[in-house]
Amino acid sequence: MDLALFVLLLVLVAILAGFVGSLTGLGGGGVMIPLLVVVFATSIPVAIGTGFVTILATSSATGSTYVRDRLSDIRIGMFLEIATVPGALLGATVTVFLTHANLASALLIALGVVLLGTIPLVLSRRHVEIPVPGPQGPVARRLGLAGEYYDRFLKRTVPYRAARARPALAVMFSAGVVSGMFGIGAGALKVLALERSMNLPMKVSTATSNFMIGVTAAAGAGVMLSAGYVNPVVAAPVAIGTALGAFFGSRLLPALQNRTVRMIYVPVVVVLSVEVILRGLGIA
Amino acid sequence: MTTTEVPVPSSGPPPHPLPAEAYDRMTLVLRLGLGIALAILGLGVVAYLLQHPGASSSEVLSNNPILTYLSLSGLGSGLANGSVGAVLTLGLIVLVATPIVRVASGLYYFRQGHERAMAGIAFAVLVLLLFGILVIGPLIR
Repeated sequence: MDLALFVLLLVLVAILAGFVGSLTGLGGGGVMIPLLVVVFATSIPVAIGTGFVTILATSSATGSTYVRDRLSDIRIGMFLEIATVPGALLGATVTVFLTHANLASALLIALGVVLLGTIPLVLSRRHVEIPVPGPQGPVARRLGLAGEYYDRFLKRTVPYRAARARPALAVMFSAGVVSGMFGIGAGALKVLALERSMNLPMKVSTATSNFMIGVTAAAGAGVMLSAGYVNPVVAAPVAIGTALGAFFGSRLLPALQNRTVRMIYVPVVVVLSVEVILRGLGIA
Repeated sequence: MTTTEVPVPSSGPPPHPLPAEAYDRMTLVLRLGLGIALAILGLGVVAYLLQHPGASSSEVLSNNPILTYLSLSGLGSGLANGSVGAVLTLGLIVLVATPIVRVASGLYYFRQGHERAMAGIAFAVLVLLLFGILVIGPLIR
């Protein structure tokens, strides 16, 4: 393919990935990585390395708005990063070793399975805007893991407090491993921990997950970049396109229902995951 | 979607909420970092296309120049020579560094608020990130 056309297509596809990623809070890597492998014939480790770039651009573009609006809980996010960062470092290291061992096909199949596995998590998100506060665990109490935000829809300040910190740390470590291995945000797992284990309101969970995704991706990207698995000529147009898509997505988000967004995301990921698995099996 | 009306929790905001300045600074860090990274990357992509007219995507996919520019000396000499690969690598480094600077600014504000436990956590996250990038990555290359 002509290089100029290749770059243009990368920017356009990345706009789509950033758009979907910002609307779902999942980072966009789940769409971008399979497309890089299937459409752009990129090797799987370079696609994963580029996936981190997608997440970094989405997270910085949309995360800054959530921080400005005090929706991201900096205290809770930074506390949980103590689990996601080592997880991501471990995951990225495993990916590099699997690549060195010529097991990229296995990685491709695992990526497809993991992407399919995120779908029930995306669909099963709790439908309660503000949870009933329960008792606070000792760690959450000691670190003051509580806060408040102004809800524009409810037109009032909503206080909240985190419940159980230890189970959330365990889920976050797993989310870090998945993110580091496959270059995806693993936002579905992060939101699960924030909503279910920590009992946080839906908006705070989504915004804090977005806030954390960037740091988790920085850990994975750092390893993949240092190991030479990020191609700058591929990654640069992807970063530009993703940031543009995320910018437009975050502007459109208030006008769309969560359900609509998921109905767009799910079929796209199913098709791409199946394609990736078939490639890994040498069928496609 | 249902909305559950709730009583106000007995323990509301943390005893030492982060100052508004912390949120403003972190917003600025994320926006500035992304803006600078995208400006450098955009410049690099245009320059690359101008330098490689008629090139094919397979040439790009089979030649990854990044390892040349990952050391300080390699990046410095590449930028001094006007290498487009070095410019693109610099843009990616700024993109990766943006959330790391955000963690460092969190550490600063937790220290300012004399929150030893949270400052310790932020410091540990920062050390882990730098360890991964500076030690693990080059070690397993």
